[in-house]
Amino acid sequence: MNNKKSMWSFRFSTAQLVLIPAAVGINYVGKLFAGILKLPLWLDSIGTVLASMLAGPIIGALSGATNNIIYGLTADPISLVYALTSIAIGLTAGILAYKGWFDNWIKAFVSGLIIALVATLVSTPLNIQFWGGQTGNIWGDSVFAFLMAKKFPIFLASFADEIIVDLPDKVITVLISFAIFKSLPKQLISIYTDDHKIEKL
Amino acid sequence: MRYLSLYQEGNSLLHKIDPITKLLFVIIAILVPIIINTLTMALAFFIISTLLVFVARAFKRTLPIISFSSLVIITVLFIQGLFYLKNQTPFFTLGPFVFYKEGLLYATGIAIRIFNIINAVAVLIFTTKPSDLIEALVKKGVSPKIGYVFSSVLQIIPQMMSIVDTILDAQKARGLETEGSFTKRAKAFIPLIGPAVLNSLISTKERAMALEVRGFNSKKKKTFLNEVPYNKYSNVLQVALIAILVFSIIWRIISW
Amino acid sequence: MVNLVVEHLKYRYPLGNELALEDISFEVKKGEFIGIIGENGSGKSTLCQAIVGLVPNFYKGAYGGKVLVKEIEVAQSDVSEISSYVGIVFQNPFTQITGSKLTVYEEVAFGLENLGIPREEMIKRIEESLKLLRLFEYRHFNPFELSGGQMQRLAIASVIAMKPDILVLDEPTSQLDPQGSEEVFQAIQDLAKNGMTIIIAEHKIEKIASYADKIILLHKGKLVDFDTPEKIFSREDIEEYGIVPPVYTRICKSLNVKNEAGFYPVTLEQVYYELVKVYG
Repeated sequence: MNNKKSMWSFRFSTAQLVLIPAAVGINYVGKLFAGILKLPLWLDSIGTVLASMLAGPIIGALSGATNNIIYGLTADPISLVYALTSIAIGLTAGILAYKGWFDNWIKAFVSGLIIALVATLVSTPLNIQFWGGQTGNIWGDSVFAFLMAKKFPIFLASFADEIIVDLPDKVITVLISFAIFKSLPKQLISIYTDDHKIEKL
Repeated sequence: MRYLSLYQEGNSLLHKIDPITKLLFVIIAILVPIIINTLTMALAFFIISTLLVFVARAFKRTLPIISFSSLVIITVLFIQGLFYLKNQTPFFTLGPFVFYKEGLLYATGIAIRIFNIINAVAVLIFTTKPSDLIEALVKKGVSPKIGYVFSSVLQIIPQMMSIVDTILDAQKARGLETEGSFTKRAKAFIPLIGPAVLNSLISTKERAMALEVRGFNSKKKKTFLNEVPYNKYSNVLQVALIAILVFSIIWRIISW
Repeated sequence: MVNLVVEHLKYRYPLGNELALEDISFEVKKGEFIGIIGENGSGKSTLCQAIVGLVPNFYKGAYGGKVLVKEIEVAQSDVSEISSYVGIVFQNPFTQITGSKLTVYEEVAFGLENLGIPREEMIKRIEESLKLLRLFEYRHFNPFELSGGQMQRLAIASVIAMKPDILVLDEPTSQLDPQGSEEVFQAIQDLAKNGMTIIIAEHKIEKIASYADKIILLHKGKLVDFDTPEKIFSREDIEEYGIVPPVYTRICKSLNVKNEAGFYPVTLEQVYYELVKVYG
């Protein structure tokens, strides 16, 4: 994560580009294992967060976007519009990584909270536009129904619906990503950071 | 499965239309009802995309996707029917619950919009080979590298599925417990995802090198093996679709 | 005609402490078959990757000296540009499949499309290389449906289609079953017969002994020796470099059977030749 170059470069190395399909694959595998283990979380953005940590916000955002476009075109069309949320997750994780917010467990936890908040802020208007404010999650939607019954403003009700689901999911996703990142060989990590120069011997 | 795709061979009119035109239709079918946010507009696009699903002979295959969203739509009908903020006019009662006309109408609007999106996308994905769509986009000027990313995802996901089985078996053989209490199951997650991540990252390194020696970063103008002849009316259709989008934006601006 | 010149090549990986390659120099002539041997970590892969310019351009790190392919300095050129002069095949057949093409035929086209080869020429080259690698009948298969040996031959076909003068192979059979290995060696032999310059890093000593014109012996990143198989395997200190000579060499050594030049034979044919000379 020791990027000396600007994190906003659009000139990607081949290794960075090939990281995008791998990230989408990791997202998918995370979701699959969460399902196999019957965990009450999605855990379907580990690849996006890792891509951001390894190669910066733009690659992270592209991984997120690719993830939802592919999922939208092969399984659930509505997930296309949530590409915006995935992009936001990738950007936020990449910026936080660049600013050194993944240096230890406490910082990683705070990063998880920030990413959850950003994801919720982007998803909520989409939920309102497309689903009248709901998420499709039983627990979240129960809270939504309760707040609606109490005449809370729609944005607050929908925000609560989303954050109840997103907060634990994103914080745990980020902590898992951080644990994996720490265990990766340094040589491997270095191929995704594009800031090396060829030194003369 | 070797390749992630919902495409099915066929000879409907929509199979013959070029991928870009169908993609434009999807974009417009999603955007225009948002730009002009009226129930009439949503209904109009819902009717068009539903008709096209039938023209594509893809209705049966669209049903599973629709029923998946229908479960959520039912809860939307309940919640909005009961609690929509503008609810005034009772429509019917079910035991202690009073359903209101405004909320039900609002929920119906949501359902129409959701089903419109699903049907529009279905028209594209059931009648278009993903590889054709990607290649058409690259020919239109999308970066071949982005094209590569998309087409490789479609093959990498099925590959990852087989890795999942291998890892699951290997870790179970080493005594990893994937059933039982929540703590046990939660603890199993890292030993499962860890090897999958390492495996796919090491593959990216090797694949990146293999791509580079096959001219991936070449600055020459790319040529194509496949020549896809499409209907000559596709330009007319594309111009018409873009015109619809432009008109809807203008409409929105003047009627503001 | 000299095809490849390596001059005082030095290299260190990023984050590495030691040199992976230290002052390597050698020359390869057109049509030669060169084997690279040495124990794990001796620098075989690094040297292979340096010949095509992936070292240093893919990894970065610290680099010195020169690699010249047809007078072109590879470190100064784009890896893509180099690909029509020298091609490389790696160990893992699976990761060499681009993953973006649905048929064997299209897979071979990948590199040609990137290089902007006109369509007619592309088709000609794809069919030539598929036939040469005996994959033509599999042209409509999905690349991932192939066996390991077939996938590796597809990787070779994809590289050959780009018409390089030199083909570098980095332990191309280390991840294959015996049948797959045999297929790949057969293919490499066919290519050598067609006049292709071959440089191959390989653990299977018997194969290297029977095919190679010359062998590069590497140890800890240094070039120990560059000579004919007979001379290399007759070295008294060969086992100190982690190399077990071919079985025929070992037998001849214990029987003290040498050829006219005073070296032990390395293949069955050579042993036979020497024995016929002695016993008639």
